[in-house]
Amino acid sequence: MPTSFAQTNDDFVSRVFRLPWIMILIMLGLGIFGVAVLYSSTITNPIEAGLPAKHAVRLGIAFVFLFALAMTPLGFWSAVSYTGYLGALLLLVGVEFFGAMGGGAQRWLDIGPIRVQPSEFMKLALLLALARFYHQVRASGEVKFFHHIFALLMIAAPVMLVFRQPDLGTSLMLAATGFAVMFFAGMRYWIIIAGLVAVVLSAPLAYFYVLKDYQRERVLTAIDPSRDPLGAGYQIQQAEIAIGSGGAEGRGYMQGTQSQLDYIPEQHTDFIFTVIAEEFGFVGSVGLIGAWIALFALGLMVAGRSRSHFGYLASSGAVVTIAFYVFVNIAMVSGMLPVVGVPLPLISYGGTAMLTVMAAFAVICATNLDRDKHLSISGFF
Amino acid sequence: MGRKREVKELDTTRRLFIAGAAGGLVSSVIVGRLVNLQLLNQEEFEARALVNQISLVPGVPRRGLIFDRFGEPLATHRTSWNVYSAREDLPDLEETLARIAEVVDLSPERQERLVQNFRREQSFIPVSILTDLTYEQFTRLSVMRPQLPGVTIEASHARSYPRGRDFAHVVGYVARANQSEIDAALEGLDPEVDRQRISRIQGVLKHPNMRVGRLGVEKEMDDWLGGTPGNHRYVRNAQGRTIRRLDDDENAPKPGKDVHLTIDADLQREAIRLFGDHSGAAVLMDVNSGDILTLASNPTYDPNDFVNGISSVDYNALRENERAPLYHKAYDGVYPPGSTFKMIVGAAALRAGLTDSSERVYCPGHYDFGGRRFHCWERRGHGSVNLKGAIQKSCDVYFYEIARRLGPERIAAEARTFGLGISYELGMTGGASGVVPNDDWKRRRFNEPWYDGETLNYGIGQGYLTVSPLQLAVMTARLARTDGVAVMPRMVGVGDTVPQNRQFGAMPDAAIMQHLREGMFAVTSETGGTALRAGDINFNGYRMAGKTGTAQVRVISAAERVTGVIDNADLPRRLRDHGLFVGFAPYDNPKYAVAVVVEHGGGSSSAYPIARDLMHEAFVRDSGRAASYQIASNATDTEAI
Repeated sequence: MPTSFAQTNDDFVSRVFRLPWIMILIMLGLGIFGVAVLYSSTITNPIEAGLPAKHAVRLGIAFVFLFALAMTPLGFWSAVSYTGYLGALLLLVGVEFFGAMGGGAQRWLDIGPIRVQPSEFMKLALLLALARFYHQVRASGEVKFFHHIFALLMIAAPVMLVFRQPDLGTSLMLAATGFAVMFFAGMRYWIIIAGLVAVVLSAPLAYFYVLKDYQRERVLTAIDPSRDPLGAGYQIQQAEIAIGSGGAEGRGYMQGTQSQLDYIPEQHTDFIFTVIAEEFGFVGSVGLIGAWIALFALGLMVAGRSRSHFGYLASSGAVVTIAFYVFVNIAMVSGMLPVVGVPLPLISYGGTAMLTVMAAFAVICATNLDRDKHLSISGFF
Repeated sequence: MGRKREVKELDTTRRLFIAGAAGGLVSSVIVGRLVNLQLLNQEEFEARALVNQISLVPGVPRRGLIFDRFGEPLATHRTSWNVYSAREDLPDLEETLARIAEVVDLSPERQERLVQNFRREQSFIPVSILTDLTYEQFTRLSVMRPQLPGVTIEASHARSYPRGRDFAHVVGYVARANQSEIDAALEGLDPEVDRQRISRIQGVLKHPNMRVGRLGVEKEMDDWLGGTPGNHRYVRNAQGRTIRRLDDDENAPKPGKDVHLTIDADLQREAIRLFGDHSGAAVLMDVNSGDILTLASNPTYDPNDFVNGISSVDYNALRENERAPLYHKAYDGVYPPGSTFKMIVGAAALRAGLTDSSERVYCPGHYDFGGRRFHCWERRGHGSVNLKGAIQKSCDVYFYEIARRLGPERIAAEARTFGLGISYELGMTGGASGVVPNDDWKRRRFNEPWYDGETLNYGIGQGYLTVSPLQLAVMTARLARTDGVAVMPRMVGVGDTVPQNRQFGAMPDAAIMQHLREGMFAVTSETGGTALRAGDINFNGYRMAGKTGTAQVRVISAAERVTGVIDNADLPRRLRDHGLFVGFAPYDNPKYAVAVVVEHGGGSSSAYPIARDLMHEAFVRDSGRAASYQIASNATDTEAI
């Protein structure tokens, strides 16, 4: 394992001090705010009474997890990247063949008593594997076109498998993360522009030949919620009413009628932003978006300061992964995108996305700790 | 390590900035969307949020109560638990009914009928499933409530008549609005323009808890008692469960106003009791104020049976009863006044100067006129009688003679002066005007001229002349007034709709009135009077003056004229004469007037004991208690009706 470190003053205490504390405090603030909002959104439903506390416990565990991963040397992340990627790919194949039915689609894999969701694991694994790939390519010379082709294959394999589950949201997220890393790795601008044009042009083809009926229905419903007023359109309409009626200053904590009277399905999970928008208004929702943007900006700055190419690619890709969650979620609940089942990290009730986001943040933190280190990577492990 | 330099040659900073810019672009699109939703269109979404959570439910107004003179409740409310639902709220009608039938008694036939009831109504109209739950039914259904989505189990104000039988005819009763009442409420509304109002009126009128006045004060004063229907606004959550009721505002139903009657409930009960098995009517009236303290008809029925709908078997039994319990005899019933009319004939003659108090007429027991012989009830004759004696002994011949002198027009005019021939608005349904005949009337009615023989019968209160017991009481009260005021009857303490001062000429002079009262005093208090046992009302030495009367039910046959009239006691009940008595007391300072009619009582002896005992009771109860209401005939809310 020929991975080497070249850095002094690397004892535990000074590493703790060098953690990006502003980012961690913003995250902690978001998490606490999430518990409060979750409390408001579940108070009227006795069945959901225990959820805020459960969420708080998970959040605590996730922060411990974040801390532990953040302290992990960056070299370790690159060392496990290929193995992780291949392992995740195998699990995805496993889901394809043995997966248990869950949530209407094959996304889970039962391994003994543990139920894993390989697609979620793959988000991080793909990011790290691509970062390592480009790091090694650049270390051994210039990035050629065929290198990008290889990267594209690395992306395509999990995207196809996840899409087949079918999980449109996650597969798009994987693709977005992958393309983001390719962009950060130096893909020429004209290729990117050509690619974007191709995507736009092929969207109608994808719509008619790739998407399944229910997915097409979701797209149509996002465009016109009134076409399905009792199903998905109902959810979108009620979400819009909740967001809109919040107005500038909101109706006040626990005062939102839409939220308190359970008019929005999934208001404690994917649609929790509607509760924030209704009860805290424009000020609250823009404040929330502002907090996330601050986190993303700080994350990109960490990437920019990284001396190692791996750190730069891994943390900028991690920012894109998290940003994808946040932006897609808010765009989805405010009726700008189809309902694809992407939660709002740290705030939506649910553990899986929280772990993924925490792991992605851990990558950024680790990059920050080892930002002055040169990273020499070669071989497979 | 020279290769590491190449890494930094990459335009990483620019690419990070581009990524940041792209993120900024996405953020601004999202914030733009939020500006659009939250800042520019807030009002629209707020309105939609309101529509979401608030559902309008027809609000049945609380009906006003009815009290007697002293605040005793006559029509009140009791809590009744009812079960109802609207078709649109039920996932499965038959299934719901079957589930209800699991815990309470609901026969398959009844379920079948309920299904039809539901089908007949528009889907949003609530339909009654069960009314007046017993405590056991209520608890059983409450336990089952979670399995009965869309079914309402609700406490309502059910109308209750604590003095039921005593006030059946006066207070009347309420019932579910029938189609013609709904049509009447919707009259003048354009189905295109007033759709919302129409469905609101229908929603309330068809509501299982809604009742409208069907008879009596309940019906006549319905606008006053009924209040204004409205809507209740409920906050409902997404599952349709009611979270709370919003505070009342202008949409809420307005409760009806209370009605106070001038009637004394205990006196009314006493009057009914005094009738026993007899059928008939009694009216007792305050001579000075016109307050009606008793307006009783016997036999009677229980109006409580009608509130939730009476069975047709019970209803037919009431309808076919020969003593006509459904009939408001005191107000709607008309009878020939018989000899109680004689004071009016006397008044007309004195006023016209066709006789004076001292003129004597000889009564041989009959009066021959126009080739016919008219009998006095006393076949042996009364000898020579003046006005006082004629009233005292009720001599027919005397009144044949003065009626002949008067002619029908002057008798009719005097009858109207004393309050006969018109109907009185007392604030309840019905009200007979009776007939005060004259030549014009007969020509219109029978297309025949008036015959002089009929004038003679008119003089003794027979023939076409008919009066109601209420009119008799008014007549007697006016006779009792020493100040010449034509007192008007009143029964409802919130004002009247119709101006009551229809005055048919001035009352006769005080001297004339005094002669009439002296005659009436002699009837009950001087030897030879026809109702001597009615004179002492056994209270404070007060004496009642009065007049007996007998109204023939059948035409006396020619054979009887020869052989003599068969004694009433030997006739079947339905052919017996009606017994009448009118009176006032105390004689020297009149306070109350009374009129009693006993149907087929056989004669006045059936009537005056009731009048005497009722008068006694009125004075016993009159211990200076102030009435609990304000007569509003000169108050401002008269306008509000």
